[in-house]
Amino acid sequence: MYDAPVTASAATTPRSAPAREGLHLAVLALPVLAYLVALGMSAQMATFLAVGIAVGFTLQRARLCFVSAFRDLFLLHQGRTLRGLIVGLAIGCIGFAMVMSTIVGDLSTGRMPNDAHILPLGIATVLGGFLFGIGMVLAGGCVSGSLYRMGEGYLASWVAMGGVLIGLYTLNRTWNWWWEHSIESSPRIWLPATLGYTGALVLSAVLLALAYVGTLWWERRQGPTPNITIRRAQPAPPASVGDDIRVALRGVFRREWSPMTGAVVLSGLNILLFIHYRPLGVVGEISRWANDLGSLAGAPVGIQKGLDTLAGCAAALAEGASWFTDGFMLNIGLVLGSFTAAVLAREFRLRIPHQPQRYVQSLAGGLVMGYGAGLGLGCTLGAFYSAIPSLALNGWVYAIAMATGALVGSQLIRRLA
Amino acid sequence: MTTEAETVPVLDVRGEICPYPMLRTNKELDEVHPGILALDVLTDHPPALSTIPPEAMKRGYGCEIDEIRDGEWMIRLFKDA
Repeated sequence: MYDAPVTASAATTPRSAPAREGLHLAVLALPVLAYLVALGMSAQMATFLAVGIAVGFTLQRARLCFVSAFRDLFLLHQGRTLRGLIVGLAIGCIGFAMVMSTIVGDLSTGRMPNDAHILPLGIATVLGGFLFGIGMVLAGGCVSGSLYRMGEGYLASWVAMGGVLIGLYTLNRTWNWWWEHSIESSPRIWLPATLGYTGALVLSAVLLALAYVGTLWWERRQGPTPNITIRRAQPAPPASVGDDIRVALRGVFRREWSPMTGAVVLSGLNILLFIHYRPLGVVGEISRWANDLGSLAGAPVGIQKGLDTLAGCAAALAEGASWFTDGFMLNIGLVLGSFTAAVLAREFRLRIPHQPQRYVQSLAGGLVMGYGAGLGLGCTLGAFYSAIPSLALNGWVYAIAMATGALVGSQLIRRLA
Repeated sequence: MTTEAETVPVLDVRGEICPYPMLRTNKELDEVHPGILALDVLTDHPPALSTIPPEAMKRGYGCEIDEIRDGEWMIRLFKDA
């Protein structure tokens, strides 16, 4: 049998338990302070910050990684995360349909809800999604994934975000070409316009159910999944109400959430934000940062055509000249929420890759992903997780293109390990 | 590195993001030390806990995971000679 030498236990930090508890709880002051600062600006800023924090917290707790949802399906025949996302999307569809029906009640007018992610569907969607899929696998995180991993202390994700900025800047410099040759003339296909809300919901439900069953079938081809338990110090069984409360708190703050729980909470937040403002999306703001940095460096991008006619992330790009916008609050909140969640879960740590080529991969992956996100008018959040619930056909096309890109990326990455 | 019974080699993949911890573990088992009887993989990337063990099990290894400190895990892979 195998005898376990505890090789790395010497590295354990000798800090006393109460002092550590205090340090961990002190981190809660950060989101509260940030919220008060945002509230000083406007209620809207504060709302976006709060939603951002909640999204970051959720993504960290569920380790909800859009990349692994697709990559692990191809590399490992694991579909647990993807199945979680599918359930989350189903909840999103129902909630979004309810919100959209309050905006456009009478479909015969031919109107479409302005802020829903109904985007031009064409070659840019396909190519953008495909590039995004390759890039995210190389970088080890999509855009929202890299944001929350930045909060968890992954240096590689900070590098990937640098690549995303460069990729978005490059796309923005070539934006007008894409606009004139493809995006401007691409149709926006909103399922309720032809099928009604009920028809569009039924069609989405059928497609999601097929995707769910298809995932199960693909997983089964690999044989049964082994069950592995993680050995940790077991606390004494609860003996009082105080203990019961501690157990409940551990469930939220210490124990990992299932991907499905995370995906459903994420959809709930998405619906809440859409009720009053717009669906979730993070790329528009990063794209704005890329352009601002370009201007600072003396190479402004100039006028980008057609942004005012688009919803979602491309519209957010035209949001304004100030640094402090809704999108800024959302993205900063996301990093902050993930940082807070990671510290409370004792999972925060500075993670520095030892191998130099990892930085090149993260930067290159980020760059390809950034270009794809700009071209495809959003990332896994904006062009996929907010678009399918918008009952827009572009969400489905983007998803298929991104999955294909992830498949190609998974083949590439085998050679790079 | 030796493969004597009392010193199990440790593959340190801390700092690495998915899927690299799993790919590096596979490489270690398949190419660097083919047929090795025990390998410890040190990781600080929680998702690796669900990617490394199934791949190692496909190669005939048993697996145990110890949380050795906050946010760090030792994945212990072993098989009979």
